[in-house]
Amino acid sequence: MNIQYKKGVLELCVLSLLKKHDCYGYEISEYLSTHIDIADGTVYPILRKLKSEGILTTYMQEESGGPPRKYYSLTKLGREVYEKERAEYLDFAKKVEALLEDDSDD
Amino acid sequence: MTKNEFLSKLADELRKNNVSDADEIISEYEQHFAFKMADGFSEEEIAAKLGDPAAVAAQFESDADSRKSGGGGRKAITVIGLCFIDIFAGAFFALLFAWELVMIAFSVCSAVVSVCLFVNISPWAIIPPMPPLPGVVFGVSMASLSVLSVTGSIYFAALIRQLMRSYGRFHQNSIAIASGKAVLPSLSVYPRLPAKANRRIRNVAVFALVLFTAFIVLGAIISIISSGALEFWHAWGWFGYAG
Repeated sequence: MNIQYKKGVLELCVLSLLKKHDCYGYEISEYLSTHIDIADGTVYPILRKLKSEGILTTYMQEESGGPPRKYYSLTKLGREVYEKERAEYLDFAKKVEALLEDDSDD
Repeated sequence: MTKNEFLSKLADELRKNNVSDADEIISEYEQHFAFKMADGFSEEEIAAKLGDPAAVAAQFESDADSRKSGGGGRKAITVIGLCFIDIFAGAFFALLFAWELVMIAFSVCSAVVSVCLFVNISPWAIIPPMPPLPGVVFGVSMASLSVLSVTGSIYFAALIRQLMRSYGRFHQNSIAIASGKAVLPSLSVYPRLPAKANRRIRNVAVFALVLFTAFIVLGAIISIISSGALEFWHAWGWFGYAG
């Protein structure tokens, strides 16, 4: 699949996962690669970008038997951005789908 | 490529691209290696899957990138512009607050008049004289009017609050654009009360309106009957007319 398609929605997927619960970077990376075919390490630049935009925030948490992990969590703003972009994407996807299915019927 | 080779190359590339807090990024990839190695992958396999460190580093926005649209001059102009807009918006908000106060005062006055009508007293002769029965009926209608006015003030207060939040967001975004930061979604100006509260307020308002109308008509009819005149206010000597 075209890499450009994926890049655009990857952000949305990250936000959707973080809306459910806070995650550490690797967890997000693995979760996404089990669902979408993406190259390893693609999410780290996205996480940093989202953090610099104030959509995510990070905190360190001690783990038993290991170094502390950096957890990512949605900010209040992030929640707002997610809800808005989610609605926009679903609406867009629906329209594209209708368009493409109409095409195959001809 | 081993883990250390990959990480040091990545650090070099990040520094070259002028990316800030490279250490934080490196530690993220260090963790990636640690997790993958715990799953049984070799350092070489992991590094190969991550790809060329230069390509990885290129995906991180440099400081220059994220600030390119900014510039102190543009921000200063935006702030000055916002100050002027604030003067107009401030006057507008003062007007809205004044109207909210008027609505609250109206609610209180209606409630006081209603109580006076119920107990048939007329402090400083503010209530025109009338027999107790129409007084009570008019009292109910004034009480409904007071409730109606309270629901109106609640909704209007919510509207003012939302307008202020929306305006604040506009403010924040204008400065964010001028300084090249992320822009937040704009806020709707309509208050989005919780569905349950919204329904309840609407029901109370409709009920109060119906009660007000019904009792004011009923009061007039009872007054006409008990005074024996269509223009009952003349019969009872309101407004200085001695009947």
